[in-house]
Amino acid sequence: MFLLIILVLFGLSCKSKSNKTSEFVFPEADSVPISEAEKLSPEAIADISKNISSPVEIANLLQALEVPFSQNYIASSIDANKQSTSFDKAFKLGVLGADLGYLNMYEKTGSSLNVLSSIRKLSEDIKVGQYFNFESIKRLSQNKSNLDSLLFISIDSYSQIDKYLRDNDRGQLSALIIIGVWIEGQFLATQVVNQVRDTMLIDRVGEQKIILNDLLLLISPYCNVSSEFTSLCKDMQDLKEKYRNVKITYTQGDPVSVEKDGRLEITQTERSIVEMSKEQLDSIIEITKNIRNRLILNN
Amino acid sequence: MKKQILTLFFFVAIGLLSYGQSTDKLVSNCVMNAGSNARYLKDFRIQLGKAIVQDEFRVKEKMSLWKNTKYRFSMCNADDSKGQLILSIKDQNKKVVLSSFDKKSGKTYPSVDFTCNAGGIYELSFDFTDGQQGSGVVVVSMVK
Repeated sequence: MFLLIILVLFGLSCKSKSNKTSEFVFPEADSVPISEAEKLSPEAIADISKNISSPVEIANLLQALEVPFSQNYIASSIDANKQSTSFDKAFKLGVLGADLGYLNMYEKTGSSLNVLSSIRKLSEDIKVGQYFNFESIKRLSQNKSNLDSLLFISIDSYSQIDKYLRDNDRGQLSALIIIGVWIEGQFLATQVVNQVRDTMLIDRVGEQKIILNDLLLLISPYCNVSSEFTSLCKDMQDLKEKYRNVKITYTQGDPVSVEKDGRLEITQTERSIVEMSKEQLDSIIEITKNIRNRLILNN
Repeated sequence: MKKQILTLFFFVAIGLLSYGQSTDKLVSNCVMNAGSNARYLKDFRIQLGKAIVQDEFRVKEKMSLWKNTKYRFSMCNADDSKGQLILSIKDQNKKVVLSSFDKKSGKTYPSVDFTCNAGGIYELSFDFTDGQQGSGVVVVSMVK
């Protein structure tokens, strides 16, 4: 195998490594003022919506760690026919989207069809059903032969729904879907980490601190819209508090590049280090479970 | 006059429809060709005219990348693109951690694997070589 080590490549040259470290901290203010959040441009909101960690990534990590599939992590108690408000419908559309990603990754066809029909009902109820390619997703779920096509169509459907809602002044529903996806992904990761204290998984849970502030920025404009939103904002603020003393530091280093079979392979030598005590992790697991269960059991 | 407007509308609609279809085909082909060990995560669809001034990459997006994860960035160009789609990624400190284009040799890589060891929000910049006109897609996958 031809292996070429490129010493100097693309301006990522081997400068002398510095051992400087930096730390990720929340912005100074404890809560995001509404006026500040309202100033977010549509581009900034679109950026935030794209930043959120995909549940597919978490499911991929679980598979790499050989964590077996568990039906207990799925929000099977959600009855799409019993959701009365747009808040409930949009939030649960997000939760079920994350579950669909998890089911797809583990090729659990039977369960994914049930989740899919709930997604169909909820998306039609909030008038975005036209963006969800149900028949293709159903066919690909049953087929099992092409997971990438299935993931692509599923994720693309959610991206189109998100864009449509933001473009049509229904940003509060888009924010709820995104928060729903994130909370369910966070629930999945924390439930597994509660059973398997794997370092990679603990790091992934700890690193969610980085995007928590963005999530709060996303929902802040709507915190006074309804009691449901007020409650969700408080939940997210409480979760942020649990993360406050989780320490994330970065050691600096230059990337190392190698060309292999015509493909460029880059390994980052800069590292993030997550410092989180058992007590901090336990409290994050606990609060995530409480928030998620309160919101999904509200049928 | 009414007939001319209707004809114009018809051709514009057909044009838009065929652009949408060709973009979808380009994206799905790019997803399929990312490799059997790659799992689709997201895509960025880029369409640009010729740049008036060539300095910075013209399209910027943000994306969270997580520690202990190997990502694959696959760049795919539409047949009618004049330039090659290129990508550059900067970390939180604005330091370039990945570039699919070697300025010195002019070589572009259609596929780059990036092993991320520092979780965070990264800035992805896209353009076409020499600021040329083009359309294409960057598919981001996770490598198993």
